[in-house]
Amino acid sequence: METLIEVKNLMKIYNPGENEVRALNDVSLTIMRGEFVAIIGQSGSGKSTFMNMLGCLDIPTSGSYFLNGKDVAGLSDDELSDIRNKEIGFIFQGFNLIPNLTALENVELPLIYRNVPAAKRHELSVASLTRVGLEHRMDHKPSEMSGGQQQRVAIARALAAAPPVILADEPTGNLDSASSKEIMQILRELYEEGRTVILITHDNKIAASAKRVIRVIDGKIVSDTNYGDGKSIEEIAKQIEEEGDKQAYV
Amino acid sequence: MSQFFEYLKMAVSNIKANKVRSFLTMLGIIIGIGSVILIMSLGNGIQGVISGELEGIASGQIVLYTYDSTGTYYITNDDIDAIVEEVDGIMAVNVYQGFEGSTVTRKGEFSVNGSGQMASYQYFSNTGLLKGRYFNEKEYLAGTPVCLIGEADAIRLFGSTDVIGMTIDMTPNWGNSVSFTIVGVEKEPENSMFGGGYDNTPVSLYFPMTVLTQIYGWEMDDYYQIYLMAEKDADTASITTQVVSLLERRHQCFGENIYQYESFNDIMSNINTVLNAVTMVISLVAAISLIVGGIGVMNIMLVSVTERTREIGIRKALGAKTGSIMMQFLSESAIITMIGGLIGILFGIGGASLAAKIISMVSPEMAFTPSVDIITVLATTMFSSAIGLFFGIYPAKKAAKLSPIEALRRN
Ligand SMILES: Nc1ncnc2c1ncn2[C@@H]1O[C@H](COP(=O)(O)OP(=O)(O)OP(=O)(O)O)[C@@H](O)[C@H]1O
Ligand SMILES: [Mg+2]
Repeated sequence: METLIEVKNLMKIYNPGENEVRALNDVSLTIMRGEFVAIIGQSGSGKSTFMNMLGCLDIPTSGSYFLNGKDVAGLSDDELSDIRNKEIGFIFQGFNLIPNLTALENVELPLIYRNVPAAKRHELSVASLTRVGLEHRMDHKPSEMSGGQQQRVAIARALAAAPPVILADEPTGNLDSASSKEIMQILRELYEEGRTVILITHDNKIAASAKRVIRVIDGKIVSDTNYGDGKSIEEIAKQIEEEGDKQAYV
Repeated sequence: MSQFFEYLKMAVSNIKANKVRSFLTMLGIIIGIGSVILIMSLGNGIQGVISGELEGIASGQIVLYTYDSTGTYYITNDDIDAIVEEVDGIMAVNVYQGFEGSTVTRKGEFSVNGSGQMASYQYFSNTGLLKGRYFNEKEYLAGTPVCLIGEADAIRLFGSTDVIGMTIDMTPNWGNSVSFTIVGVEKEPENSMFGGGYDNTPVSLYFPMTVLTQIYGWEMDDYYQIYLMAEKDADTASITTQVVSLLERRHQCFGENIYQYESFNDIMSNINTVLNAVTMVISLVAAISLIVGGIGVMNIMLVSVTERTREIGIRKALGAKTGSIMMQFLSESAIITMIGGLIGILFGIGGASLAAKIISMVSPEMAFTPSVDIITVLATTMFSSAIGLFFGIYPAKKAAKLSPIEALRRN
């Protein structure tokens, strides 16, 4: 397997000086292509901050980040845009849909910036919305949809361009357990298709779908466990639970 | 380039989403472009009328007159011969003596303005002949009662322009009656403000001035006004000074400014000076309103960028490059000003035809047709989009430079 992500001594400090917050504190990590990784941690532990770094949306205060062997720090804004567009499918914690566009138009966005011709774009977007079960809501604006439906539009948008890496920040945060299961099923399928899936969640049961679980506390990685393909979701969930209890006593 | 259409679509859908605001933003442009087009089409129409009027006066023509009522300084036939002989560059000299009278045809009774001319009349008549010929030197010398009539007047008198060889029995208000034989029909000047054909204006006839001898019983020999026609490309200014000094010498009145003149070129340059001044003032007003309009567009685009910061963040996060965001916002401002320009053009054309209609209703003899050419319309449309592009650059740059994460954090 080739290395996809290589992060060394990554720091992100908000408001440097008096009120400074070390959202990421000396994080080092390697993720291979095709892995299914869950990053878990409590609210405020720095998960979204980490995702922004991995997704080339934000620049670390210090430390290095190699994506596909390339030092991200040396890339221009437009090169970063290109990477986000071609390599990464984002599922944001707050959906980040454009309010005056329909579901279909929102899903088409990354394809537009990828220069996909209109007909092909439409086809891919419809397929993607159908995959998340929204074929009957394609012409609705976000304000005309429930939170769960908006979440699924956001997922459809991340899937439409079939990027090799999926970055999902709390993708089931607003869904009931049935819908959550469907979404997790999709993420597992993506992993099985060979994509790299990085899942951010505070929910141990959700994290159990992944094969590798990284626990973050106060911007630091406190554990990094590879469960491999052999174990069932229930077994992994149980182990994460035990691991979490152990950390709590440290 | 394939994406260009996408930016236009985005821009249009955003303009549609903010219809009222977009329209208000356009107002400055609408007013600016509208007034440019209004003034241009009115100006074209009026210029058409003026040049129609001036068709009667050929270029190169000089009018020379004297401020004398005693007769001492009147210009005589001998003076005219001397001018033709001594001054170079003169093609023809003409004088005219008018008289009033009336005639009766089967179409009714008409008042007539008779205009006695020299045989050189043909050089001064600029509209050209529709039918027949001008009278010649022989007829002038013999005092043959032949005449020319205008197209519209021929129709008034006889209901047709096939009038060559017909006679007009003319009763002057003073003097003996004469029977004129028509030898030529003159074309009407285009767009004439005073062109014949209005029911109560007198019919105009042009004939050899020597016919007046028959009517009045004496020979015409002195004139207070003569017309000179310079040869093509001759220097009218130098000809005029030569003629004036010749007349001053002959009448021994050096430097007394008794002989005055006006040349077509003077008249034309006066008219052009006025038109240019008007154009300048209007252009200035239009330019100011376009700049104000442009600033309005910039202002609204800045508001729009601020409002849509999050949208910009999302777009950038999903792969929009600096150029893509730039293009999106530039297309938006260019389309706003282009639509404004188009509406302005419609308003300008509409306003001009309305103004022309009102003028023609109030005073029909001033009637004119406003006109704009397609080049002007295209140029104006391009120019209004250019305003949008220019004033849109700053807001678009501001949008394009936003960092995706900063933009996403804002609500
Ligand atoms: N723009 C910012 N300015 C200052 N501090 C910030 C900023 N963004 C995040 N933080 C702080 O950094 C820390 C990590 O935030 P982050 O959003 O990464 O947490 P998280 O793990 O995603 O939490 P949650 O599960 O609630 O989404 C928090 O303490 C937060 O207050
Ligand atoms: Mg978060």
